[in-house]
Amino acid sequence: MTDTPALSSADGRPWTCPYCPLACDHLDVAVGAGVQTLTLRGGVCARASAGLAQVVDHLTSAAASIDGHPCDLDGAVQAAAGVLAASRQPLFGGLGTDVAGARALYPLACATGAICEPAGGAALMHGLRALQDRGQFTTTLAEVRTRADLIVFVGGLPNDLAPLIGLRCGIGDAHVPRRRVVALGAAPEDQAVLDAWAGQGGVEVEALPLQGDLFDTLSMLAVLVGGRTLAAASPALQRLAMRLREARYAVLVGAPARLPAQGAMLVEVVHHIVGSLNRSTRAAALWIGGGNGVATVNQVFAWLSGLPLRSRRGPRGLEHEPWLFDGVRLLSEGAVDAMLWVSSFDAHAAPPSNRLPMVVLGPPRLAARCARSDGPTVFIAVATPGVGSDGHLFRTDGTVLMPLKAVFRDHLPTVADVVGRMTSALAGAGRVAA
Amino acid sequence: MSSLMLRGGRVIDPAHAASGQRRDLAVRDGLIVPAVAGESFDEEIDAEGCVVMAGGIDMHTHIGGGKVNLARMLMAEDHRDGSNPIAPPDNPLELASCGSCTPGTLATGYRYVEMGYTSAFEPAMVPSNARHAHMEMGDVPILDHGAYVMLGNDELFLQLLAEGGPQGRNFAQIRDYTAWTIGASKAMGVKVVNPGGISAFKFNQRKLDVDELHVHWQVTPRQVVHTLARALRELGVPHPLHIHGSNLGVAGNIGSTLETIAALEGLPAHLTHVQFHAYGNEGPKKFSSAAVQLAEAVNANPQISIDVGQVMFGQTVTASGDTMRQYAQSGLASPRKWVGADIECMAGCGVVPFRYREQSFVNALQWTIGLEVFLLVRNPWQVVLTTDHPNGGPFTSYPHLIRLLMDRSFRDEQLAKLHPEVAANSGLRSITRELTLDEIAILTRAAPARLLGLHDRGHLGVGAAADIAVYREDGDREAMFRTPEHVFKDGTRVARAGRVTATPVGGTHFVEPGFDPAIEQTLRRHWQAHGAIHFDHVAIGRDELCRCCNGGRLLPAACFEGAA
Repeated sequence: MTDTPALSSADGRPWTCPYCPLACDHLDVAVGAGVQTLTLRGGVCARASAGLAQVVDHLTSAAASIDGHPCDLDGAVQAAAGVLAASRQPLFGGLGTDVAGARALYPLACATGAICEPAGGAALMHGLRALQDRGQFTTTLAEVRTRADLIVFVGGLPNDLAPLIGLRCGIGDAHVPRRRVVALGAAPEDQAVLDAWAGQGGVEVEALPLQGDLFDTLSMLAVLVGGRTLAAASPALQRLAMRLREARYAVLVGAPARLPAQGAMLVEVVHHIVGSLNRSTRAAALWIGGGNGVATVNQVFAWLSGLPLRSRRGPRGLEHEPWLFDGVRLLSEGAVDAMLWVSSFDAHAAPPSNRLPMVVLGPPRLAARCARSDGPTVFIAVATPGVGSDGHLFRTDGTVLMPLKAVFRDHLPTVADVVGRMTSALAGAGRVAA
Repeated sequence: MSSLMLRGGRVIDPAHAASGQRRDLAVRDGLIVPAVAGESFDEEIDAEGCVVMAGGIDMHTHIGGGKVNLARMLMAEDHRDGSNPIAPPDNPLELASCGSCTPGTLATGYRYVEMGYTSAFEPAMVPSNARHAHMEMGDVPILDHGAYVMLGNDELFLQLLAEGGPQGRNFAQIRDYTAWTIGASKAMGVKVVNPGGISAFKFNQRKLDVDELHVHWQVTPRQVVHTLARALRELGVPHPLHIHGSNLGVAGNIGSTLETIAALEGLPAHLTHVQFHAYGNEGPKKFSSAAVQLAEAVNANPQISIDVGQVMFGQTVTASGDTMRQYAQSGLASPRKWVGADIECMAGCGVVPFRYREQSFVNALQWTIGLEVFLLVRNPWQVVLTTDHPNGGPFTSYPHLIRLLMDRSFRDEQLAKLHPEVAANSGLRSITRELTLDEIAILTRAAPARLLGLHDRGHLGVGAAADIAVYREDGDREAMFRTPEHVFKDGTRVARAGRVTATPVGGTHFVEPGFDPAIEQTLRRHWQAHGAIHFDHVAIGRDELCRCCNGGRLLPAACFEGAA
C-alpha cells in the first residue's frame, strides 16, 4: 500500500488503546513507514504491544472471501445475507466491536431472530447474574486512584487481562500516602508484581493464600467483616477483615473471567462484603473485564432493547436467557444452524469449532484461523476500532465511554458498514422481522 | 419538504393570545406558517372536534445514561411478563424494545411519541459519562433531546469553592469551569444533586444539611447552590440552575427546601421533583404534607420554577445521582436489591427498585402532596408536569396524571381508595381547582420550552417548529391524552392514532457558554493529577456529538445577553 498515511497524534488527540478493559489513553503508537508496523510508545504494555503486532496492512490480498476464495465486498455481503436468510436460528457470537458496530448489529439480530452471545459470555454472566439478583456497589478508576487506602485483589492480580492495573489504580501515586495492597489467592507470578509495587514507595503489599478455595475464603471473610467471630479463620484472614473494617475507602478488585463456574456466587459475596463495610465505613467493588467490545455490546443492546446479552428477539418477543443462551452449549447441542462471528479487535479469537454455515467479520489475519473444509465460510475483513477506524469503547468500570481514534487508514470497512449492508441485503431479499 | 393544513381544530396555544379558538394551522417545510386562504397543501386534515397543541416537552425524565442502563440490567423482571416474553411490536417500523419503568431507548421514543410528546431532557448527565448519555439519547428515536450536566459534587468544584473562602474570591474561575464543563459535555444546563452530599458520602458523611459543613472540604450546600446559580446567571445560560435539593425523601425536609430557596438570594432556579422535598414531620407518624408551605414559597418567588415528580402507584425503580440518600433508602428496596456507585471523583449514582402502594400511609401521602403542589401553585408558568420518570412512576402514566389534575370527581374517587388516614385527612379533599386545557398545555409544553430557552418550541406561533399533537376531544381526559389522533415532528407525521408512522432521528439541544480559556490550564493540571482519562479526551466536539447522536440535528441554543 502506498497511501497509508500515519494519523497518530496528527490531530492532537491522544490514542486510546482498545486491547484491554482499561482502555488506557496515556500511550501512543508509532507508525512505521513502508510495510506497516505499529509500535507502542510512551510506556510498556504486553497486551497493547501484542494487539498492535496483529495489525497488517497487506491488503493487496483479498479483504473478503467465500470458502477461502477471494471475492469482492458486495459478493461477500450477499453471501453472508444468504447464510442468515437460510438460517432458522442463527447465533451471533464473539461480538467484538464498538458502539457503532453494536448499533448496527441490533437491527440485524432482530431481523434474523439471532441469539446474541459474546466471547467469554460466562464471565459476563457472572457479573450480570449477581447484578440482577442482588445489585452491586462499584467504583471507578479515578476514585480508586485518589481515594483507596486498601485495595484487595480477589483471586490474585489480573495483570494478564489488564497489565497496567497497578498504574491505573494509582499504586505508587502520592494521593494516598499509605496504601495497602493485598493479593488474596495470589498466583506465584504475582509476587514479582507486588514486589515492584512495593518498591514504588508508600505502598505496603501482601500476598495472602486462600483458605480452602475462593468460595470458602470469601465466605469466611464475609462473616468476619460482618463482625462475627470465626475461630476456623486463619490469623491472616482475620487481620484482613480487621483492615477492611478500619480502611477509610477499601476497594475489592476482581476479574470475572478468572472465576470458576457459578462465579456469580463469588461476585455476590464480594458485594456482600462491600455492603457490610458500607454500614460503618466506605468501600466499593471494581470488576476488570468486558474487554474486546463485550461490555460495550452488552451496554448498547441493553439500552436499545431493555435487555442485556444472551438474548434474542424470538417469535413471542424479546427473550433473555442467561442459562439457555450459552453459545458453547447451543453449538454442542446443535440448537443453532448458522453463525455470525464478530471479532474486530482480536485476530486470534477464532470462532469455536463448528460445521455450520458461518460468516466471520474480523481483522485480516483472522481469515487464516477460520479456514476449514467442513462448512461454508464467508470471511469479511473489517477495521479494528482504535487502529484502523475511530470508534467508542466502554472502559472496565462501565461509566466512561472512551473515544477511539484510527492510527492509520487501512481502507477496510467497519463492522457497522458491513452489518448495515447485510441488513439491507436481507431486507431486499424479503426477510424482515415478522 | 412537505406542507400540511390542519383545519378547524381548537388550538390550545397559551403562549399566544386567543388560545382556545377554532382556527386553521398551516405547516410548510417543518415550520408553522401563516394560514393564507387559497393556498394548497400536500395534505389537509380535518381537525374538527380536536384539540391542537404543540408537541409535549418533558424537561425532567431519566431516559439515558449510565444509571438508566444499570436500572435496565437490574430490573430484568421489567422486561418480561411473568414467565413469558413481552409480545413483540406488530409495527414493522418498530424494533423490538420493552420495559415499563426501565424501557429501552427505542421503546422510550415510541411510547413518548404515541402520547404526543416530541422532546425529552435527561436531567442527570455525569460529566465522565456524557458520551454514553448522548449515545443513548441518540438512540431514542424521533424525540429531540438534551441533558443537564451534574456539578457541585465534583472534587474540583468543591476544592475551588473551599479555596475561594466565604467571599468567593475565585468566583470567576468557578464560573469559567462551569461554562467549560457545559460546553465540554454538550449539556443544556447544570443540575446540582444533594449539593456537596454525593461527595461527602465518599468521605463517609451520612447526611448534609443546607448549612452543614462537608466533612472534608468544609463548604456548605448553601455555598454550592448560590455559587452555581450565580455562575449560570452570569454565563447567560437560558435554563437556570436545576436543583435536586438536600435531604430528599426525609420527613421534615421542607425546612431544607425553603433554606435552599433562601440560599439563592433572589437568583432564578428550577427546583426539581419538589414532591420529594415537601415533607413535614407533624402528626402521629411524624410525616406530613408541607405542600402549602412549598407552594407559598413558589408563589412568593416568581424567579423560581418547579417540576413535581408526582408519585404514581405501582412498581417502578428510583434512579438518582444522590448516592447518599439512595444508600439511606436502600433498605426499602422492592424487590430487595439495589445498585450504587461512586463515579470518577465527580458524581455517584443509586438505583433502588420501589413499589408505591395505595395502602401505605407514606406513599398515599406522597401522592397527595404532589397533587397539592400542582394545584396550589398559582402561576402555571412556574410548574412543569413530571413524575421524575421513573422515580415517581413511568412517563406513560402522564395521561392518568392529567386526568387527576383536570377532573376533581375522578381525583376524589382515587383519593378515597388510599390509606384511610390519608383519605380522611388530606388537604387535597378541600382543593376544588381543576386545571384547564390551557393550563395543561403550559405545564406540558409552553412552560418547559420557556424555562429551557427553546424559542421555537412549546408553542404554535408562526415560525415555530411544527411539533404538533392533535387530540380528539373527550371528557375522559386520560383517554384523550393517551392516544392523540396525529403527532407531527418538525412537520413530519410520526404517529397516527397511537401508532408510530415514521422514525426520524431527533435533534440535540445544547449550549456553549463562553469562558476564559486560561481555565484549561487549571483543568489540565487537575486531570493529570487526579483523573483517569487524558484531559484532551474530556471534551466532546461537535463532530463527535453528531456521531453519538446518530447523525441527528445539532440544536445549539443561544445564551442570553447580559452575561458577564
